[in-house]
Amino acid sequence: MIEFDELHGKLVLKLVYYGPALSGKTTNLLSLHDRLQQEGRGELMLLDTTEDRTIYFDLLPFFYVAPSGFKIKLKVYTVPGQVRHDATRKAVLQRADAVVFVADSRISQMAVNAESFANLEQNLTLVGLDVEKLPLVVQFNKRDLPDLVSEAELREIWGPTGLPVFMASALQGQGVLETFQAAVEGVFKSMDQKLGLQQRYQVDQKAFVQSMVKTI
Amino acid sequence: MNEAASHIEFIIGEEKRLSDIVSRAEIEPLLRSGLKLGILRAALLDEDDLPLATLGEEPSEDREKPLQKRLPIMVEGEPKGTLLLEADSSNHAFEALARLLQEALQLTVTNNLKRMLTTEVHTSIVQESYDQLVTTNRRLMESERRYRELARDLEKKVLERTTELQQAYQRMLQQEKLAAVGQLAAGMAHEINTPLGFIRSNLNSFAKYRNRMAEMLGLYRLMLDKEASPEVIKRRAEQRWKELKLDFLLEDSGVLLGQSLEGADRIATIVAQLKDFAHLDGMEQQPMDIRRELEQLLAGLAPQFPPNTRLITDLQQLPLFTCRVPLVVQAFANLIDNALKSRADGLELTVRAVQDAEQLQITISDNGCGIPAEHLPRIFEPFFTTREVGKGSGMGLTVAREAISGAGGSIEVESVAGQGTICRIRLPQGATIMTDHRSNKTTSGGDTCR
Repeated sequence: MIEFDELHGKLVLKLVYYGPALSGKTTNLLSLHDRLQQEGRGELMLLDTTEDRTIYFDLLPFFYVAPSGFKIKLKVYTVPGQVRHDATRKAVLQRADAVVFVADSRISQMAVNAESFANLEQNLTLVGLDVEKLPLVVQFNKRDLPDLVSEAELREIWGPTGLPVFMASALQGQGVLETFQAAVEGVFKSMDQKLGLQQRYQVDQKAFVQSMVKTI
Repeated sequence: MNEAASHIEFIIGEEKRLSDIVSRAEIEPLLRSGLKLGILRAALLDEDDLPLATLGEEPSEDREKPLQKRLPIMVEGEPKGTLLLEADSSNHAFEALARLLQEALQLTVTNNLKRMLTTEVHTSIVQESYDQLVTTNRRLMESERRYRELARDLEKKVLERTTELQQAYQRMLQQEKLAAVGQLAAGMAHEINTPLGFIRSNLNSFAKYRNRMAEMLGLYRLMLDKEASPEVIKRRAEQRWKELKLDFLLEDSGVLLGQSLEGADRIATIVAQLKDFAHLDGMEQQPMDIRRELEQLLAGLAPQFPPNTRLITDLQQLPLFTCRVPLVVQAFANLIDNALKSRADGLELTVRAVQDAEQLQITISDNGCGIPAEHLPRIFEPFFTTREVGKGSGMGLTVAREAISGAGGSIEVESVAGQGTICRIRLPQGATIMTDHRSNKTTSGGDTCR
């Protein structure tokens, strides 16, 4: 949670897209930006990149105002995936309310995915977040490429974790919204538990999620 | 630490107010250019509609009410400020001008925000790197401290071991010296026993001679008492003299006593040599006459020479050499002893003591069994011996080298198996004391005097 202003009924939340380099985190945000309607969201802010690779982060903000007047701002960030940018990842991860882990589905990338996931767990601990409690959504991206680990195999591996797992092709816009929606639902539920969003502030989960994922 | 106190923490995504992002100084030039283009009043209001910057006049009552525009300024897609513009209705460019100013202001705000965000990330990274450096540095210092301690302990341990070794070494040296003295004593005993044997036998003979002489003297006294006639005395005495073989006795007595005296002298000489060798007067640094020591040593060791030994010496009178004399003598003795044991028969032992411009050189060479090439590098190692158990301590050459290097010199062994061995000892000239005139001459002239 970035900010909770009880007096003015305002909540600022953070959702972070994490994962190895070139797994398609920024592409996910670009796809969301293209497919979601402009009302209720801000512009996609891409901070400096080198050769199309994120070196700081990207930001796509969403806004929701409940009929009760309670405001929720959800800031969606990407982190740089390259190993050398670990400090930046850690900085972006601070106070995150949910994480989307974007993995590369190709067989050749499995070790890289595992390393990045271990890095995520480590960094969450370092910034004081509980890996067990933080809403986490896993996306296996690049399903449009050859030499992939099969969906059945991935579900077999990830099934026992209980985490929501999505197959996606961010370039073709597949699975992106589903991933995002699961993450938004996760954020809402976790905030509702902590703050009583529905009870105390009359924020409806369904209305909130729908407002976030309203397509053009 | 001060550094920790000044730690600035940024939370990425933290909400910012418009006034955090742009300053009045940045906004005013933009607004001013609007005024130049005919806008009457321009202001930027923040989230709470309070002005961050205002330029131009409040509209006066007497004038026509101006046109007013309120345009949003967005921060992260959220309207955070308002651009307020007023112009006369006659200003036809107002609409376009307002858009232009809004765009320009929006661009400034967005760019400033991006710059702030990158700066914040950058600062976080720098701070983290610094923290890591501090941590690494602390660890390094810690490990350096441990290594220092380790090194210090190691030094102490090495010192302890060295001391122990030195003490053991001293004991070995002492034992070796005692062994050598014992060996020498055995030789000396033989040397002393021979003259002692014939002195005893001579004295035995002389004791018998003395009895006969006493008998002769007794006869004279008896006959004188009886007041015999001179003829009788002469006849009887003559007869007894012959019976007792006194002519031979008297002559042989002289020989016996002469031999015994000679024997006693020989013993005295040997004892003197032994005394010199043992240097009972201690281990002080003393001037050493190398030639005299070598001569005495060779004389002392002579009984141990194997059969048919040919001894070749070239012992020049060298300047006195200051050292712990017994140790250096011991070194010479050990080298000569090795040579003596190198051949059972027909040994050719050469001992030279010469001097060149810089140093004294003592060479001891033999035509003995030699040292196999593979043993050569090890001969100075303590306890290295090829002799059978009990016959060699393996300390001889070690002790020799110790003594020579202790005296500032060096020792070098050259050998061909089956042909012989040459040991060269070099002693520095600087350690010499010029005492007698002969050595003075030798050192100055570089020529040796025998």
